[in-house]
Amino acid sequence: MKQRCLVVDDSLTVRMDIGEALQSAGFDTVLCADLRSAREALAREGSVLVVLDILLPDGDGLDFLTELRSSSATARIPVLLLSTEAEVKSRVRGMGAGADEYIGKPYDLGQVVARAKALTQRDTSGGVASGRRVLVIDDSVTFRNELKQSLEGAGYHVRQAATGEEGLALAAADRPDAVVVDGILPGIDGATVVRRLKSDTALRGTPCLLLTAAEGTHDELRALEAGADAYVRKSEDLGVILVRLAALLRGATATGGETSPSLLGPKRLLAVDDSMTYLQELGSQLRQEGYDVVLATSGEEALELLAAQPVDCILLDLIMPGLSGQDTCRRIKQSPEWRDIPLVMLTARDDRDAMIEGINSGADDYIAKSADFDVLKARLRAQLRRKHFEDENRRIREQLVRRETEARFQRLIHSNIIGVILGDLRGHFSDANDAFLAMLGYSRAELEAGALRSDVLTPAEWRERDETAVEQLKKTGSATPFEKELFRKDGSRLPIVLGLVLLEGADKTVGFVLDRTEQKVAEQKINKYAVALEGANRELESFSYSVAHDLRAPLRSIDGFSQALLEDCNDQLDDQGRKYLRFIRESAQHMAELIDDLLTLSRVTRSELHREPVDLSALALAAMTRLQRAQPGRKVAMVIREGLGAEGDPRLLAVVFDNLFGNAWKFTSKCEGGRIEFGASSNDGHPAYFVRDNGAGFDMAFASKLFGVFQRLHTAAEFEGTGVGLATVQRIVHRHGGRVWAEGEINRGATFYFTLEDAKERLK
Amino acid sequence: MSDRVILLVEDNPKDEELTLRALKKGKVINPVVVARDGVEALDYLFARGDHEKRAPAAMPQVILLDLKLPRVDGLEVLKTMRADERTKLLPVVVLTSSNEEQDLINSYSLGANSYVRKPVDFAQFVEAARQLGLYWLVLNETAPLAGRR
Repeated sequence: MKQRCLVVDDSLTVRMDIGEALQSAGFDTVLCADLRSAREALAREGSVLVVLDILLPDGDGLDFLTELRSSSATARIPVLLLSTEAEVKSRVRGMGAGADEYIGKPYDLGQVVARAKALTQRDTSGGVASGRRVLVIDDSVTFRNELKQSLEGAGYHVRQAATGEEGLALAAADRPDAVVVDGILPGIDGATVVRRLKSDTALRGTPCLLLTAAEGTHDELRALEAGADAYVRKSEDLGVILVRLAALLRGATATGGETSPSLLGPKRLLAVDDSMTYLQELGSQLRQEGYDVVLATSGEEALELLAAQPVDCILLDLIMPGLSGQDTCRRIKQSPEWRDIPLVMLTARDDRDAMIEGINSGADDYIAKSADFDVLKARLRAQLRRKHFEDENRRIREQLVRRETEARFQRLIHSNIIGVILGDLRGHFSDANDAFLAMLGYSRAELEAGALRSDVLTPAEWRERDETAVEQLKKTGSATPFEKELFRKDGSRLPIVLGLVLLEGADKTVGFVLDRTEQKVAEQKINKYAVALEGANRELESFSYSVAHDLRAPLRSIDGFSQALLEDCNDQLDDQGRKYLRFIRESAQHMAELIDDLLTLSRVTRSELHREPVDLSALALAAMTRLQRAQPGRKVAMVIREGLGAEGDPRLLAVVFDNLFGNAWKFTSKCEGGRIEFGASSNDGHPAYFVRDNGAGFDMAFASKLFGVFQRLHTAAEFEGTGVGLATVQRIVHRHGGRVWAEGEINRGATFYFTLEDAKERLK
Repeated sequence: MSDRVILLVEDNPKDEELTLRALKKGKVINPVVVARDGVEALDYLFARGDHEKRAPAAMPQVILLDLKLPRVDGLEVLKTMRADERTKLLPVVVLTSSNEEQDLINSYSLGANSYVRKPVDFAQFVEAARQLGLYWLVLNETAPLAGRR
C-alpha cells in the first residue's frame, strides 16, 4: 500500500510541483490550499507525512503544527515545514513547535523528496523480501537451484554464479541487495569473495552471508574476519538461510538511509553577516546553486539557529557588532556537536592579519568578501567535499572497529567454554552458542526461528526468581549468578547457574549458563551418604546402648551368683573350688571394665565438643586427688604446675587426665619414691602439656603401639588394664585438633605429651 | 525402719534374685513385691488387674524401677505415675544397667528421685542396696500420700 502524504501550501505551483515529485517517489498525495481542507483531509484519510507551508490564507501553519503535536493521534506524524521565511527566528520557531524538518523556499525538489523519504522510513516494516535481488554464488548446481527455489518462493529475485570470479563480476554489474556465497569454491574461496566485495566502495554496503561447511568455529571466525555480515552452516536447513537473509536486509534498510548521504545532494548553509545587503546577495547566489540557505544577522542568531537545526556549512563574517565573528567561531568550534561543521570565515579586509585571526579562532577556511562569488562557491564546495570524505572515513573506521569488536565478542561466545545466550529483557534469545544449544538439545535452526524464549524454557516455579534477576539487572546492570532450571527439548529439566549482564544498549543482555547436572548428582550423592551416615550413627548409638545395658546383666549374674556360692555353699567347697570362683568373679569384673572403657571411647567419638576455657591444672589436681583417695596408703610425690589453662571440652579433658594420671599412678606402684608431674613445654611455639612419671616406663620400639585399642605393653599380671585408655586419650586430643605422643624408657618412667588447637588457630 | 512394702520392678529373674539378696545382705528387711513388667507394676500401684484385691491405700515405701522392661518400659511407668495424683509423690529409684547420659536425663526429668546403676561387682551391689535402704526407708521423710488420710 502506498503511503499517503499531505501537502499544504497556498501556491498551486508549489502544490503541483511537490505533489508530482512525491508521487513519482512512490507516495500517494493529498494537496490542500488552506488549513481547513488540511484538517478535513487529515481527519478523513490520515497521513504519514505533512509538508506544511507557514503563511496560509486562513491561518498560521505553526498553529496547525501545534495542533498536530497536542493530539495523541497525530503527535507522531512527521512534519516538514516549507517556507519563504529564511530568517533564523522563523526557523527556530518552527523547529521549536515540533517540526521534524525545515526547508527554505526556493526549495530543492530533490532535497524535499529525500527528506520526505527519510522521515517516513523511520518505521518501515515487513516486506523485506519483495523484489530484493540476491546473488547466489555456489559451485553446486543442485544446491544453487534448491536455494534459488526457496528464495524465489519468499519473493526474492535470484541471480546465480558458479565461481567467486563470476560472482564478483556479476555483483559489480548488477549491484544486488544481498550476496549469499559458499565458503568453498573452485577458484577464489568464499571468504576472499566477501573480502573483495567489502573493499569495493560501491559494494561494501551489500550484506554478505557466507555458507560454511565445517562444524568447527574456525571457519565461522574466518568468515566474520573477512567481513561477512553473517554465516550459516551449510548443513543447516534452507529456512535458516532465509531467516538470516531477511534479518540482514532489515538491518540494511534501517541504517541505509543515513549512513552514506550523497556528496551531490542538497546541503543546508548558514550565512552570518551584519550587512543585510550582502547577506541577501549571498543568499540568492547560493540558492541558485541549490543550497538551502538560512540567513542570520548576528553571531547570537547563528548560535540560536544551530541549537534548533543542524547545517552542513557555516559562512561567518569576521567583523560584526555584538558577538564578533571570531568569538562566534570559537564557540562553535568548542561545541562537540557543532565543531565538525565546516566553517568559512568571510571578511571585507583582504589581508594577512585578518586571515591569521580567523584561522586561529578555528575556522576551516578564509575568503575575502571582495572575491567574486564563483571563488566563494568553489571554496564552499571544497569544504563540503572535505567534510563528506571525512565523515565517510570516520564511518568506515567506526565500522571496522565495530566489526573487530564484534569478531572478538563472537570468538568469546563461540569458545563454548560456558553456555552463552544473547537476548533482551523480555527473555527473547537472539543468539546462543553451541554449548548452550547442546545443553538443551535444540538446533541452531530452532534458535533462529525464535523457538527459544526464557518464558517457554523456564518451569513455572522458577519464573519469579527470573523476575527478581531482571529487576536486579535493570537496577545494577548485572544479576548475581543464581540457580534455576530450564526445560530441555525433550521436556526433562536441566539444573543451571545463570548470570546476566546488561550491555550498553539498555535492552541487550548476555547470559552465562553453567550446567549443574554433575554438581547436582554429586550433591545428591553427598546427601545420600549423609543420610546413610546418620543412620549408621544412630545404629551405632543403639548398639552402644545395648552393649551398656544388656552385656552387663549376665556379668552381674556371674559375679553375684559366684559370690552367693562362696557365701552359701562355702563348706562344700575346697580351696581349689574357691580359687576358681574367685577367678570367675575377677574375669566378670574385668569384662565389665572393658565394656565401660569401650563405651567411654565410643562416647568420646560421638559426643559433641563444647569448647570453653578450661583450667588444666585444676583438672590434673582433681584426677590426682581421686586416685589418692582410692588408695590412701600409697605415697607418691605430686608436682602440678599451677595456672595452666586452655580451651576445650572440660568433660572430655577430664577423661584425658583420669587416664594419663591413672596410668602414671598404676605404673609407679612398684617403685620406691614414685613421682608424678604435670607441666607444659614448648612445641613449635605452642604449649605441649605433659604428664610424667618415674615408673615402669616402656620400650620406645613399641611407642607406635601405645595408642591402639586393646594394645598393651604389659601383662595383666604385671599391671592391670584394658588397653583402651590411651586410645581414648588420643581420640579426645585429636578431636581437639591436637597431637599426642609419648617418650619413655624401661624402668625410667614415661612422659605423655599432648597439644590442643588454640582458639586463634581454629578461627583461621 | 518402716515395714511398708518395697516394689521392685524387674523383668530379669536373675537380677531379681540378686537384688533381693543384695537387699537382704544390706539389712533391708521390708517385704518386697516384685512386678515383672511395666503393666504389672502399674496394676499393683493402682490396685487393678491381678492386684485388684490389694488395699489401694497401702502404697509402697519406695519403688525400685528397672528401665528396660517388656510391654511398658520403665520411663513410661514413671511418666504414668507422675501424672496420677495417687502415685505422684512416691519415691522412685531407677535401678538399671545403663549409665547412658540420656537415660539419666530422661529419668530425672520425668521425676525420678534417684538413679542407681547396678554394679557388676556384687560386693558393690550389696553396698548400694544397704545405702538405698538406709536412705529411702529410714532417713527420708515421705510426703503424705494423697490416698491416705
